[in-house]
Amino acid sequence: MIFDLVKKDVILAKRYLIFMLVFAIGAPLYIEIQTGSLSGGFLGFVITVLFVLYMLFNTVSMSEDKYQGPALLSATPYTRSALVKAKYIFILLIFVVSYIIYSITSALVPTYLPTLNILTLGISLFLIALYFGIIIPLQYQFGYEKVRYISFFAIFITPFVFPGILKWLHSNNMSLQMMLSIPQGIQDLLPFLLTILIGFLSMAISIRIYSKKDL
Amino acid sequence: MKTVLEVKGLKKDFSNFSLQDVSFSLQEGCISGFIGVNGAGKTTTIKSILGLVLKDAGSIKLFGQEIDQNERELKNHIGIVLDDGYFYENMTIKEMKNVFAPAYSNWDEAVYKSYTERFGLQVNQKISTLSRGMRMKYAIALALSHHADLLIMDEPTSGLDPLVRSELMDILLEFMQEEGKTVFFSTHITSDLDKVADVLILIDKGRIVLNQEKDTLLDTHGLIKGDKMALDDNTRKLFISLHETRYGFEGVTNQKSAVRQQMKGVLIERPTIEDIMLAYVGGDEDDL
Repeated sequence: MIFDLVKKDVILAKRYLIFMLVFAIGAPLYIEIQTGSLSGGFLGFVITVLFVLYMLFNTVSMSEDKYQGPALLSATPYTRSALVKAKYIFILLIFVVSYIIYSITSALVPTYLPTLNILTLGISLFLIALYFGIIIPLQYQFGYEKVRYISFFAIFITPFVFPGILKWLHSNNMSLQMMLSIPQGIQDLLPFLLTILIGFLSMAISIRIYSKKDL
Repeated sequence: MKTVLEVKGLKKDFSNFSLQDVSFSLQEGCISGFIGVNGAGKTTTIKSILGLVLKDAGSIKLFGQEIDQNERELKNHIGIVLDDGYFYENMTIKEMKNVFAPAYSNWDEAVYKSYTERFGLQVNQKISTLSRGMRMKYAIALALSHHADLLIMDEPTSGLDPLVRSELMDILLEFMQEEGKTVFFSTHITSDLDKVADVLILIDKGRIVLNQEKDTLLDTHGLIKGDKMALDDNTRKLFISLHETRYGFEGVTNQKSAVRQQMKGVLIERPTIEDIMLAYVGGDEDDL
């Protein structure tokens, strides 16, 4: 049942899917070449995936807001909880697909695009979870129209903020690994655990908000 | 007769409107027309039944079970046709069906296919390109393809041409030929109900004003026309609504025998559903 709702989001986003596929191949390459791969692929991947997700999620949200389809679906045996869960799974699905595309591109041109290590992947997932973990409940509470400016501004500043942070870390001789003086295994796991925590917490808040909405 | 749906003491407050103690029930095998002027509370009531609007108080039972406590199971028995469709218009007919159908445990693809063929729906056509009539037929095809026992329709005829409206009424009558089917049909176009409705429920300003069998309602009410001379303080009280001009009057009564006894020389006609509705909601206050 939830799978069919995820499929619905994919159908709603299909207009941009091909473009996003091309973007997911080209953008990390461009960013890594421009920044000299000082982030080990992290910057190229996280900015790309954030933009891909932002575009696709916004396309879906815009359609839902315009056509009020969720109201019709909520009148069927689909539960509101399933509708919300599908949104989070959609985000995760696009993230996984973006990672697969990145990994294939990286395998084809390893000189330009470094392979992501587990920690970098985890931190990327964590940042995505943090962004959408805040945006999705806000959207359920205040509606797409009101929240879209906040989400746009947050996305708009990332290409300027992320490289700056990374350059600062680099110039101060710090790495992401060094910042965490805990065993490597736990360091690798920590972003995934935080992602799960944020994801479930955000999902529970969104379900709570949406179940009390008049549609 | 078996009660299919029972709404009791339903309340919902909005800042500018409220449903106040709405109670009625739907009987198996009946088409119940839910009538009222625009803004009377029809859509809010229907949305409350479907769980789209959360009630402040009251109980809504389908087959004796609270809908909000058995949502998934009970909604399998309901077919829905909403005003404006609420479809993702950028999807094709096939894509929307592929989203809609898996919600129902008893979806019947063969039935769906027979409806799309009958209505001439092209599966790869975008919903946004469908005419209002075709969109309604598509909504009907989706609503009737999972063997629903109760069909709930919110203003299905609004904006449709007379031919499509008539076709829709025929589809409803066809649906009712099957054992155990029930229809709840909101409209402000009361003429649609002349042909098909068994029971009429009138809502006004968020309150149920009337709930009666259509034939009984039409038999017990009369449209009275006559000379103004026939009116006095006592006879005026016999009318639910009364409109006087310089020469005559026209009014709706639910006391036909009293009118016959007390008002000689007046004309007693069978009212339309609209005459009765307007008499109760006071929507026809201009002089003739």
